Amino acid sequence: MADVTLTWPKNYNEVPKAAFTRSDLYSEEIKRIFHGPEWHPVAHESELPNPGDFRTIRLAGIPLLISRDEGGEVRVFYNACSHRSNQLETAVMGNKTEFECPYHRWLFSAKGELVGCPNPREFVPGFDKADYPLGQPRFELFYGLIFVTFSAETEPLDQFLGESGETLRELMASDGRLKLLGYQKVRYDSNWKGYNDNDGYHAPLLHAAFKMLNWQGGKGRQYTATKRGHVCFESALSVASGPSVLKDKDLIAFKGQDPSVGSRIVQLFPTFVSTKHLDVINLRFATPIDAETTEVHYAYFAHQNDDADMLRHRLRQSSNLLGPCGLISMEDASIFHRIHIGSHTPGNAIFQKGVRDPGKLESEFSQNDESGNLPRWEYYRSVMGFERAEA
Amino acid sequence: MTDSMNGLEMALDRLLLADANALDSKDMKGWLANYAEENEASYYCRAAENTEHNLELGFMFDDCRARLEDRVTYVTEIWAGTFQDYRTRHFVQRVSHRQIDASTAEAMSNFSVFMTPMDTGVTQILAAGRYLDMVRLSGDGRAKFLSRRAELDTSVLPRYLVYPI
Ligand code: FES
Ligand SMILES: [Fe+2]
Repeated sequence: MADVTLTWPKNYNEVPKAAFTRSDLYSEEIKRIFHGPEWHPVAHESELPNPGDFRTIRLAGIPLLISRDEGGEVRVFYNACSHRSNQLETAVMGNKTEFECPYHRWLFSAKGELVGCPNPREFVPGFDKADYPLGQPRFELFYGLIFVTFSAETEPLDQFLGESGETLRELMASDGRLKLLGYQKVRYDSNWKGYNDNDGYHAPLLHAAFKMLNWQGGKGRQYTATKRGHVCFESALSVASGPSVLKDKDLIAFKGQDPSVGSRIVQLFPTFVSTKHLDVINLRFATPIDAETTEVHYAYFAHQNDDADMLRHRLRQSSNLLGPCGLISMEDASIFHRIHIGSHTPGNAIFQKGVRDPGKLESEFSQNDESGNLPRWEYYRSVMGFERAEA
Repeated sequence: MTDSMNGLEMALDRLLLADANALDSKDMKGWLANYAEENEASYYCRAAENTEHNLELGFMFDDCRARLEDRVTYVTEIWAGTFQDYRTRHFVQRVSHRQIDASTAEAMSNFSVFMTPMDTGVTQILAAGRYLDMVRLSGDGRAKFLSRRAELDTSVLPRYLVYPI
Protein backbone atom coordinates (compact mmCIF):
# COMPACT_ATOMS: atom_id res chain seq x y z
CA MET A 1 0.00 0.00 0.00
CA ALA A 2 3.05 2.26 0.28
CA ASP A 3 3.07 5.07 -2.24
CA VAL A 4 6.79 5.37 -1.79
CA THR A 5 9.18 2.54 -1.17
CA LEU A 6 12.56 2.34 0.45
CA THR A 7 14.25 -0.93 1.27
CA TRP A 8 15.37 -0.93 4.86
CA PRO A 9 18.52 -2.83 5.90
CA LYS A 10 17.97 -6.08 7.77
CA ASN A 11 19.92 -4.98 10.86
CA TYR A 12 18.14 -2.81 13.40
CA ASN A 13 21.23 -0.65 13.85
CA GLU A 14 21.32 0.52 10.22
CA VAL A 15 19.36 3.42 8.79
CA PRO A 16 19.37 4.19 5.07
CA LYS A 17 20.79 7.67 4.55
CA ALA A 18 18.18 8.13 1.84
CA ALA A 19 15.62 8.44 4.65
CA PHE A 20 17.07 11.87 5.43
CA THR A 21 17.38 13.09 1.89
CA ARG A 22 14.76 11.67 -0.47
CA SER A 23 12.37 14.50 -1.10
CA ASP A 24 9.62 12.15 -2.27
CA LEU A 25 9.33 10.76 1.26
CA TYR A 26 8.42 14.11 2.70
CA SER A 27 4.82 14.46 1.57
CA GLU A 28 4.17 10.89 2.66
CA GLU A 29 5.63 11.71 6.10
CA ILE A 30 3.39 14.73 6.41
CA LYS A 31 0.38 12.60 5.60
CA ARG A 32 1.23 9.56 7.73
CA ILE A 33 3.01 11.18 10.65
CA PHE A 34 2.38 14.90 11.03
CA HIS A 35 -1.23 14.85 9.90
CA GLY A 36 -1.61 11.23 10.99
CA PRO A 37 -2.22 9.46 14.30
CA GLU A 38 0.47 11.11 16.43
CA TRP A 39 0.30 13.68 19.24
CA HIS A 40 2.31 16.88 18.82
CA PRO A 41 3.11 19.26 21.68
CA VAL A 42 2.38 22.81 20.50
CA ALA A 43 2.74 24.97 23.62
CA HIS A 44 2.66 24.90 27.39
CA GLU A 45 -0.34 26.60 28.90
CA SER A 46 1.98 28.82 30.96
CA GLU A 47 2.85 30.54 27.67
CA LEU A 48 -0.63 32.02 27.84
CA PRO A 49 -1.07 32.65 31.55
CA ASN A 50 -3.84 35.27 31.54
CA PRO A 51 -7.43 35.31 30.33
CA GLY A 52 -7.44 36.42 26.69
CA ASP A 53 -3.83 35.38 26.04
CA PHE A 54 -3.29 33.66 22.74
CA ARG A 55 -0.53 32.22 20.58
CA THR A 56 -0.40 31.21 16.96
CA ILE A 57 1.87 28.67 15.35
CA ARG A 58 2.02 26.51 12.25
CA LEU A 59 2.49 22.81 12.72
CA ALA A 60 3.53 21.00 9.55
CA GLY A 61 1.86 23.78 7.61
CA ILE A 62 -1.39 23.81 9.58
CA PRO A 63 -2.08 27.18 11.23
CA LEU A 64 -3.20 26.92 14.84
CA LEU A 65 -4.60 29.44 17.30
CA ILE A 66 -4.27 28.58 20.97
CA SER A 67 -6.29 30.80 23.26
CA ARG A 68 -7.33 31.17 26.86
CA ASP A 69 -10.86 32.44 27.29
CA GLU A 70 -12.14 34.86 29.94
CA GLY A 71 -12.93 31.94 32.21
CA GLY A 72 -9.36 30.65 31.98
CA GLU A 73 -9.99 27.66 29.74
CA VAL A 74 -7.37 26.87 27.08
CA ARG A 75 -8.46 25.68 23.66
CA VAL A 76 -6.79 24.97 20.33
CA PHE A 77 -8.40 26.11 17.08
CA TYR A 78 -7.44 26.13 13.46
CA ASN A 79 -6.25 29.65 12.81
CA ALA A 80 -8.62 30.05 9.89
CA CYS A 81 -11.90 31.88 9.62
CA SER A 82 -14.91 29.56 9.42
CA HIS A 83 -16.21 31.56 6.43
CA ARG A 84 -13.67 31.20 3.62
CA SER A 85 -10.62 30.28 5.71
CA ASN A 86 -8.75 33.55 5.79
CA GLN A 87 -5.93 33.32 8.37
CA LEU A 88 -7.74 34.69 11.40
CA GLU A 89 -4.96 36.02 13.67
CA THR A 90 -1.56 37.21 12.44
CA ALA A 91 0.17 38.06 15.72
CA VAL A 92 2.44 35.37 17.15
CA MET A 93 1.20 36.14 20.64
CA GLY A 94 -1.02 38.67 22.32
CA ASN A 95 -4.15 39.18 24.35
CA LYS A 96 -7.65 39.32 22.85
CA THR A 97 -11.02 38.11 23.89
CA GLU A 98 -12.45 38.44 20.39
CA PHE A 99 -10.94 37.66 17.02
CA GLU A 100 -12.22 39.55 14.00
CA CYS A 101 -11.57 38.33 10.49
CA PRO A 102 -10.94 41.51 8.46
CA TYR A 103 -12.02 40.02 5.14
CA HIS A 104 -15.80 40.05 5.71
CA ARG A 105 -15.72 41.00 9.39
CA TRP A 106 -16.89 37.76 10.97
CA LEU A 107 -16.24 37.96 14.68
CA PHE A 108 -15.30 35.07 16.99
CA SER A 109 -15.10 34.75 20.76
CA ALA A 110 -12.09 33.26 22.54
CA LYS A 111 -14.28 30.18 22.93
CA GLY A 112 -14.39 29.94 19.14
CA GLU A 113 -18.06 30.85 18.73
CA LEU A 114 -19.11 32.96 15.78
CA VAL A 115 -20.62 35.93 17.58
CA GLY A 116 -21.24 38.28 14.71
CA CYS A 117 -21.25 38.58 10.92
CA PRO A 118 -22.52 41.43 8.70
CA ASN A 119 -25.63 40.98 6.55
CA PRO A 120 -26.57 37.40 7.49
CA ARG A 121 -30.07 37.92 6.06
CA GLU A 122 -28.52 37.67 2.60
CA PHE A 123 -26.77 34.37 3.37
CA VAL A 124 -27.94 30.90 2.39
CA PRO A 125 -31.48 30.50 3.78
CA GLY A 126 -31.42 28.88 7.21
CA PHE A 127 -27.88 30.14 7.98
CA ASP A 128 -27.21 29.77 11.69
CA LYS A 129 -24.16 31.29 13.41
CA ALA A 130 -24.07 28.28 15.73
CA ASP A 131 -23.07 26.11 12.76
CA TYR A 132 -19.92 28.16 12.11
CA PRO A 133 -17.60 28.09 15.10
CA LEU A 134 -13.86 27.99 14.54
CA GLY A 135 -12.73 24.51 13.60
CA GLN A 136 -10.72 22.56 16.15
CA PRO A 137 -8.25 19.71 16.04
CA ARG A 138 -8.28 17.20 18.90
CA PHE A 139 -6.16 18.41 21.78
CA GLU A 140 -5.27 17.26 25.30
CA LEU A 141 -3.25 18.74 28.14
CA PHE A 142 -0.60 16.94 30.18
CA TYR A 143 0.59 18.98 33.18
CA GLY A 144 -0.12 22.06 31.11
CA LEU A 145 1.65 20.81 27.99
CA ILE A 146 -0.79 21.14 25.10
CA PHE A 147 -0.81 18.32 22.56
CA VAL A 148 -2.64 18.32 19.24
CA THR A 149 -3.49 15.54 16.84
CA PHE A 150 -5.11 15.79 13.43
CA SER A 151 -6.36 12.22 13.36
CA ALA A 152 -9.45 10.72 14.97
CA GLU A 153 -7.59 7.42 15.29
CA THR A 154 -4.82 8.57 17.63
CA GLU A 155 -4.99 6.76 20.96
CA PRO A 156 -5.53 8.80 24.15
CA LEU A 157 -2.54 10.93 25.12
CA ASP A 158 -1.76 8.83 28.23
CA GLN A 159 -1.23 5.78 26.08
CA PHE A 160 0.81 7.73 23.57
CA LEU A 161 3.17 8.87 26.33
CA GLY A 162 3.36 5.59 28.23
CA GLU A 163 6.24 5.50 30.68
CA SER A 164 7.73 8.69 29.21
CA GLY A 165 4.91 10.66 30.87
CA GLU A 166 6.44 10.25 34.31
CA THR A 167 9.84 11.51 33.15
CA LEU A 168 8.15 14.37 31.33
CA ARG A 169 6.23 15.33 34.46
CA GLU A 170 9.45 15.44 36.49
CA LEU A 171 11.09 17.48 33.76
CA MET A 172 8.33 20.08 34.02
CA ALA A 173 9.14 20.71 37.70
CA SER A 174 6.93 17.76 38.73
CA ASP A 175 3.70 19.76 38.71
CA GLY A 176 3.74 21.64 35.39
CA ARG A 177 3.26 24.96 37.18
CA LEU A 178 5.66 26.82 34.94
CA LYS A 179 6.33 30.44 34.16
CA LEU A 180 7.50 31.48 30.70
CA LEU A 181 10.91 33.17 30.41
CA GLY A 182 11.04 33.55 26.65
CA TYR A 183 12.00 32.03 23.33
CA GLN A 184 14.93 31.28 21.10
CA LYS A 185 13.67 30.43 17.61
CA VAL A 186 15.76 29.05 14.78
CA ARG A 187 15.52 27.24 11.48
CA TYR A 188 17.94 24.41 10.90
CA ASP A 189 19.00 23.33 7.43
CA SER A 190 18.20 19.76 8.27
CA ASN A 191 15.54 17.20 7.61
CA TRP A 192 13.36 16.83 10.74
CA LYS A 193 14.71 13.34 11.34
CA GLY A 194 18.28 14.60 11.34
CA TYR A 195 17.31 17.16 13.95
CA ASN A 196 15.78 14.36 16.02
CA ASP A 197 18.57 11.83 15.68
CA ASN A 198 20.83 13.49 18.26
CA ASP A 199 22.08 10.75 20.60
CA GLY A 200 23.49 10.01 24.02
CA TYR A 201 26.90 9.03 22.67
CA HIS A 202 28.04 12.43 21.49
CA ALA A 203 27.56 14.58 24.59
CA PRO A 204 30.97 14.21 26.29
CA LEU A 205 32.75 14.03 22.92
CA LEU A 206 31.31 16.84 20.82
CA HIS A 207 30.78 19.27 23.67
CA ALA A 208 34.23 20.32 24.78
CA ALA A 209 32.70 22.44 27.54
CA PHE A 210 32.21 19.34 29.69
CA LYS A 211 35.91 18.62 29.77
CA MET A 212 37.00 22.24 30.00
CA LEU A 213 34.70 22.85 32.95
CA ASN A 214 35.65 19.63 34.76
CA TRP A 215 32.09 18.54 34.37
CA GLN A 216 31.49 14.80 34.44
CA GLY A 217 28.17 13.65 33.02
CA GLY A 218 25.89 12.19 35.68
CA LYS A 219 25.44 8.45 35.69
CA GLY A 220 22.02 7.56 34.57
CA ARG A 221 19.49 5.66 32.63
CA GLN A 222 18.31 5.92 29.06
CA TYR A 223 15.14 4.10 28.07
CA THR A 224 12.59 4.11 25.34
CA ALA A 225 8.86 4.16 25.89
CA THR A 226 6.02 2.73 23.80
CA LYS A 227 6.21 1.33 20.29
CA ARG A 228 7.12 4.84 19.10
CA GLY A 229 10.47 4.68 20.83
CA HIS A 230 10.17 7.97 22.74
CA VAL A 231 13.66 8.44 24.18
CA CYS A 232 14.05 9.37 27.85
CA PHE A 233 17.14 10.12 29.89
CA GLU A 234 17.13 10.22 33.66
CA SER A 235 20.35 11.02 35.41
CA ALA A 236 21.53 12.26 38.73
CA LEU A 237 22.38 15.89 39.00
CA SER A 238 25.94 16.58 38.02
CA VAL A 239 27.70 19.82 38.72
CA ALA A 240 31.09 20.95 37.55
CA SER A 241 33.84 20.70 40.13
CA GLY A 242 37.42 21.84 40.21
CA PRO A 243 39.00 24.57 38.16
CA SER A 244 37.01 26.03 35.34
CA VAL A 245 37.77 28.34 32.47
CA LEU A 246 34.62 30.31 33.23
CA LYS A 247 34.70 33.58 35.16
CA ASP A 248 30.96 33.53 35.81
CA LYS A 249 30.46 30.23 37.63
CA ASP A 250 26.72 30.83 38.00
CA LEU A 251 26.25 29.75 34.41
CA ILE A 252 26.71 26.15 35.48
CA ALA A 253 25.54 26.39 39.09
CA PHE A 254 22.62 24.42 40.52
CA LYS A 255 20.43 26.49 42.83
CA GLY A 256 17.31 24.39 42.74
CA GLN A 257 15.62 22.90 45.74
CA ASP A 258 15.47 19.29 44.77
CA PRO A 259 18.71 17.71 43.57
CA SER A 260 17.04 14.28 43.43
CA VAL A 261 15.51 15.32 40.14
CA GLY A 262 18.77 15.77 38.28
CA SER A 263 18.82 15.90 34.51
CA ARG A 264 15.93 14.79 32.37
CA ILE A 265 15.51 14.58 28.62
CA VAL A 266 12.31 13.49 26.94
CA GLN A 267 12.21 13.18 23.21
CA LEU A 268 8.79 12.25 21.82
CA PHE A 269 8.14 10.94 18.35
CA PRO A 270 8.18 12.66 15.96
CA THR A 271 9.89 15.97 16.77
CA PHE A 272 9.47 17.11 20.36
CA VAL A 273 12.53 17.48 22.59
CA SER A 274 12.50 18.68 26.19
CA THR A 275 15.26 18.98 28.74
CA LYS A 276 15.77 19.83 32.34
CA HIS A 277 19.39 20.44 33.12
CA LEU A 278 20.67 22.26 36.22
CA ASP A 279 17.99 24.95 36.60
CA VAL A 280 17.04 25.14 32.93
CA ILE A 281 13.60 23.88 31.91
CA ASN A 282 13.40 23.87 28.14
CA LEU A 283 10.60 22.68 25.86
CA ARG A 284 11.51 22.63 22.16
CA PHE A 285 8.55 22.81 19.82
CA ALA A 286 9.60 21.80 16.34
CA THR A 287 7.97 21.52 12.96
CA PRO A 288 9.20 20.55 9.54
CA ILE A 289 9.11 23.44 7.06
CA ASP A 290 10.14 21.36 4.07
CA ALA A 291 12.25 18.25 3.48
CA GLU A 292 15.43 20.18 4.26
CA THR A 293 14.32 22.67 6.90
CA THR A 294 13.16 22.28 10.49
CA GLU A 295 12.00 25.17 12.64
CA VAL A 296 12.50 24.90 16.38
CA HIS A 297 11.09 27.17 19.05
CA TYR A 298 13.09 26.75 22.23
CA ALA A 299 10.80 27.88 25.07
CA TYR A 300 12.32 28.34 28.53
CA PHE A 301 10.55 28.26 31.84
CA ALA A 302 10.86 29.02 35.52
CA HIS A 303 8.58 27.64 38.22
CA GLN A 304 5.68 29.67 39.57
CA ASN A 305 7.05 29.39 43.12
CA ASP A 306 10.47 30.80 42.23
CA ASP A 307 11.56 33.86 44.16
CA ALA A 308 13.16 36.83 42.38
CA ASP A 309 16.71 35.44 42.79
CA MET A 310 15.82 32.08 41.36
CA LEU A 311 13.94 33.68 38.48
CA ARG A 312 16.98 35.78 37.68
CA HIS A 313 19.26 32.75 37.92
CA ARG A 314 17.08 30.72 35.54
CA LEU A 315 16.97 33.59 33.08
CA ARG A 316 20.75 33.96 33.08
CA GLN A 317 21.36 30.22 32.84
CA SER A 318 18.68 29.52 30.24
CA SER A 319 19.83 32.23 27.85
CA ASN A 320 23.43 31.07 27.66
CA LEU A 321 23.57 27.35 28.35
CA LEU A 322 21.44 25.01 26.27
CA GLY A 323 20.02 26.63 23.16
CA PRO A 324 21.18 27.17 19.59
CA CYS A 325 23.85 29.56 20.88
CA GLY A 326 24.37 27.89 24.26
CA LEU A 327 27.71 27.12 25.79
CA ILE A 328 27.19 23.35 25.88
CA SER A 329 24.88 22.99 22.90
CA MET A 330 25.77 25.32 20.07
CA GLU A 331 27.75 22.54 18.44
CA ASP A 332 24.60 20.40 18.13
CA ALA A 333 23.07 22.93 15.78
CA SER A 334 25.94 22.66 13.39
CA ILE A 335 25.87 18.86 13.58
CA PHE A 336 22.23 18.88 12.41
CA HIS A 337 23.38 20.65 9.24
CA ARG A 338 26.42 18.49 8.71
CA ILE A 339 24.50 15.22 9.20
CA HIS A 340 22.06 16.47 6.60
CA ILE A 341 24.80 17.27 4.10
CA GLY A 342 26.74 14.09 4.79
CA SER A 343 23.65 11.94 4.37
CA HIS A 344 23.57 12.80 0.67
CA THR A 345 25.94 9.87 0.12
CA PRO A 346 25.21 6.21 -0.60
CA GLY A 347 24.61 3.54 2.01
CA ASN A 348 23.44 3.34 5.57
CA ALA A 349 24.21 5.16 8.80
CA ILE A 350 25.38 2.38 11.09
CA PHE A 351 24.90 2.77 14.84
CA GLN A 352 27.55 1.17 17.06
CA LYS A 353 27.57 2.47 20.61
CA GLY A 354 25.42 0.29 22.84
CA VAL A 355 24.41 -2.16 20.10
CA ARG A 356 24.80 -5.62 21.59
CA ASP A 357 22.94 -7.52 18.89
CA PRO A 358 22.06 -5.90 15.55
CA GLY A 359 19.21 -8.38 15.19
CA LYS A 360 17.41 -7.23 18.35
CA LEU A 361 15.74 -4.06 19.59
CA GLU A 362 16.12 -3.14 23.24
CA SER A 363 14.45 -0.58 25.45
CA GLU A 364 17.01 0.01 28.23
CA PHE A 365 20.32 1.70 27.47
CA SER A 366 23.22 3.38 29.17
CA GLN A 367 23.41 7.11 29.27
CA ASN A 368 26.01 7.39 26.52
CA ASP A 369 24.57 4.84 24.07
CA GLU A 370 23.46 5.88 20.62
CA SER A 371 21.30 2.77 20.29
CA GLY A 372 18.43 4.47 22.15
CA ASN A 373 17.39 5.98 18.83
CA LEU A 374 16.82 2.60 17.16
CA PRO A 375 13.29 1.80 18.43
CA ARG A 376 12.16 5.16 17.04
CA TRP A 377 13.68 4.34 13.68
CA GLU A 378 11.88 0.98 13.69
CA TYR A 379 8.60 2.75 14.38
CA TYR A 380 9.28 5.24 11.59
CA ARG A 381 10.00 2.39 9.20
CA SER A 382 6.78 0.60 10.09
CA VAL A 383 4.63 3.75 9.85
CA MET A 384 6.09 4.50 6.44
CA GLY A 385 5.43 0.93 5.31
CA PHE A 386 9.03 0.31 4.28
CA GLU A 387 10.02 -3.34 4.05
CA ARG A 388 13.00 -4.60 5.96
CA ALA A 389 15.43 -6.66 3.86
CA GLU A 390 15.39 -10.41 4.49
CA ALA A 391 17.98 -11.79 6.86
CA MET B 1 26.48 69.26 4.52
CA THR B 2 26.63 72.40 6.49
CA ASP B 3 26.70 70.92 9.97
CA SER B 4 29.79 68.98 10.72
CA MET B 5 29.62 66.14 13.18
CA ASN B 6 30.16 67.07 16.76
CA GLY B 7 32.56 65.28 19.06
CA LEU B 8 29.92 63.02 20.58
CA GLU B 9 28.66 61.90 17.20
CA MET B 10 32.18 61.16 16.09
CA ALA B 11 32.93 59.17 19.22
CA LEU B 12 29.72 57.14 18.87
CA ASP B 13 30.32 56.36 15.22
CA ARG B 14 33.91 55.37 15.87
CA LEU B 15 32.66 52.91 18.47
CA LEU B 16 29.92 51.51 16.20
CA LEU B 17 32.41 50.93 13.42
CA ALA B 18 35.07 49.52 15.72
CA ASP B 19 32.56 46.95 16.95
CA ALA B 20 31.45 46.02 13.44
CA ASN B 21 35.07 45.70 12.42
CA ALA B 22 36.00 43.53 15.40
CA LEU B 23 33.05 41.20 14.85
CA ASP B 24 33.58 40.91 11.10
CA SER B 25 37.28 40.21 11.72
CA LYS B 26 36.35 37.57 14.36
CA ASP B 27 38.57 39.51 16.72
CA MET B 28 36.93 38.62 20.02
CA LYS B 29 39.58 40.40 22.08
CA GLY B 30 38.93 43.50 20.00
CA TRP B 31 35.20 43.03 20.55
CA LEU B 32 35.74 42.88 24.31
CA ALA B 33 37.92 45.99 24.17
CA ASN B 34 34.90 47.98 22.96
CA TYR B 35 33.23 47.46 26.34
CA ALA B 36 33.85 49.56 29.43
CA GLU B 37 36.04 48.02 32.12
CA GLU B 38 33.20 48.32 34.62
CA ASN B 39 31.61 45.23 36.19
CA GLU B 40 28.19 46.22 34.83
CA ALA B 41 29.40 46.18 31.23
CA SER B 42 26.87 44.04 29.39
CA TYR B 43 25.82 42.66 26.04
CA TYR B 44 22.41 41.21 25.22
CA CYS B 45 21.18 39.71 21.98
CA ARG B 46 17.54 38.77 21.79
CA ALA B 47 14.50 38.76 19.57
CA ALA B 48 12.56 42.02 19.82
CA GLU B 49 9.51 39.76 19.98
CA ASN B 50 10.62 38.64 23.44
CA THR B 51 11.28 42.18 24.60
CA GLU B 52 7.90 43.39 23.39
CA HIS B 53 6.22 40.74 25.51
CA ASN B 54 8.33 41.48 28.59
CA LEU B 55 10.29 38.27 28.15
CA GLU B 56 13.89 38.99 29.04
CA LEU B 57 15.38 35.75 27.77
CA GLY B 58 17.74 36.09 24.84
CA PHE B 59 20.15 34.30 22.55
CA MET B 60 22.98 35.84 24.54
CA PHE B 61 22.64 37.29 28.01
CA ASP B 62 25.97 38.67 29.15
CA ASP B 63 24.94 40.94 31.98
CA CYS B 64 28.36 41.53 33.53
CA ARG B 65 31.97 41.95 32.51
CA ALA B 66 32.79 38.34 33.59
CA ARG B 67 30.28 37.02 31.08
CA LEU B 68 31.70 39.18 28.31
CA GLU B 69 35.09 37.69 29.06
CA ASP B 70 33.57 34.19 29.11
CA ARG B 71 32.04 34.79 25.70
CA VAL B 72 35.52 35.34 24.31
CA THR B 73 36.45 31.95 25.83
CA TYR B 74 33.39 30.23 24.31
CA VAL B 75 34.29 31.35 20.83
CA THR B 76 38.06 31.11 20.87
CA GLU B 77 38.52 28.02 23.05
CA ILE B 78 35.43 25.97 23.82
CA TRP B 79 33.71 25.91 20.44
CA ALA B 80 36.80 26.05 18.27
CA GLY B 81 36.68 23.53 15.46
CA THR B 82 33.15 22.21 16.05
CA PHE B 83 30.98 24.40 13.85
CA GLN B 84 30.63 25.47 10.24
CA ASP B 85 32.41 28.77 10.30
CA TYR B 86 30.96 31.77 8.55
CA ARG B 87 31.91 35.29 7.58
CA THR B 88 29.75 38.20 8.62
CA ARG B 89 29.41 41.79 7.45
CA HIS B 90 27.69 44.21 9.78
CA PHE B 91 26.10 47.36 8.34
CA VAL B 92 25.37 49.85 11.05
CA GLN B 93 23.66 53.21 10.97
CA ARG B 94 23.13 55.46 13.93
CA VAL B 95 19.58 56.82 13.93
CA SER B 96 19.39 58.72 17.23
CA HIS B 97 21.45 59.57 20.27
CA ARG B 98 21.27 61.60 23.45
CA GLN B 99 23.85 62.76 25.94
CA ILE B 100 22.75 61.85 29.45
CA ASP B 101 25.55 63.38 31.50
CA ALA B 102 29.21 64.23 31.08
CA SER B 103 30.26 60.59 30.99
CA THR B 104 27.19 58.83 29.60
CA ALA B 105 25.26 58.83 26.34
CA GLU B 106 22.72 56.57 24.71
CA ALA B 107 22.41 55.74 21.06
CA MET B 108 20.16 53.75 18.80
CA SER B 109 21.37 52.29 15.53
CA ASN B 110 19.96 50.05 12.84
CA PHE B 111 21.90 47.03 11.78
CA SER B 112 21.80 44.34 9.14
CA VAL B 113 24.19 41.42 9.12
CA PHE B 114 25.06 39.31 6.11
CA MET B 115 26.33 35.82 6.68
CA THR B 116 28.39 33.75 4.29
CA PRO B 117 29.02 30.19 5.50
CA MET B 118 32.51 29.10 4.51
CA ASP B 119 31.33 25.70 3.27
CA THR B 120 28.56 26.92 0.96
CA GLY B 121 29.86 30.35 0.03
CA VAL B 122 26.27 31.43 -0.44
CA THR B 123 25.53 34.77 1.20
CA GLN B 124 22.33 35.15 3.16
CA ILE B 125 20.92 37.57 5.69
CA LEU B 126 21.67 36.56 9.26
CA ALA B 127 19.66 39.20 11.10
CA ALA B 128 18.28 42.70 11.02
CA GLY B 129 17.40 44.85 13.98
CA ARG B 130 18.67 47.65 16.09
CA TYR B 131 21.23 48.30 18.75
CA LEU B 132 20.23 50.10 21.92
CA ASP B 133 23.49 51.27 23.42
CA MET B 134 24.43 52.91 26.68
CA VAL B 135 27.84 54.41 26.19
CA ARG B 136 30.57 55.47 28.62
CA LEU B 137 32.46 58.57 27.51
CA SER B 138 35.97 59.23 28.67
CA GLY B 139 37.67 62.59 28.87
CA ASP B 140 39.79 61.99 25.81
CA GLY B 141 36.73 61.84 23.55
CA ARG B 142 36.59 58.05 23.39
CA ALA B 143 33.49 55.94 23.90
CA LYS B 144 32.94 52.38 25.14
CA PHE B 145 29.81 50.31 25.58
CA LEU B 146 28.42 50.23 29.08
CA SER B 147 25.61 48.13 27.73
CA ARG B 148 24.63 47.03 24.27
CA ARG B 149 21.31 45.41 23.44
CA ALA B 150 21.01 43.88 19.99
CA GLU B 151 17.25 43.69 19.52
CA LEU B 152 16.56 41.43 16.56
CA ASP B 153 13.64 41.96 14.21
CA THR B 154 14.63 38.49 13.07
CA SER B 155 12.75 36.41 15.62
CA VAL B 156 13.58 33.17 13.80
CA LEU B 157 17.30 32.96 13.13
CA PRO B 158 18.71 30.93 10.30
CA ARG B 159 20.61 28.25 12.25
CA TYR B 160 22.79 29.31 15.21
CA LEU B 161 25.02 32.12 16.39
CA VAL B 162 28.67 31.67 17.21
CA TYR B 163 29.72 35.31 17.27
CA PRO B 164 27.75 38.09 18.91
CA ILE B 165 25.70 40.28 16.58
S1 FES C 1 -13.08 34.80 5.24
FE1 FES C 1 -13.30 35.57 7.24
S2 FES C 1 -15.06 36.78 7.10
FE2 FES C 1 -14.90 35.95 5.12
FE1 LIG D 1 24.39 17.78 22.27
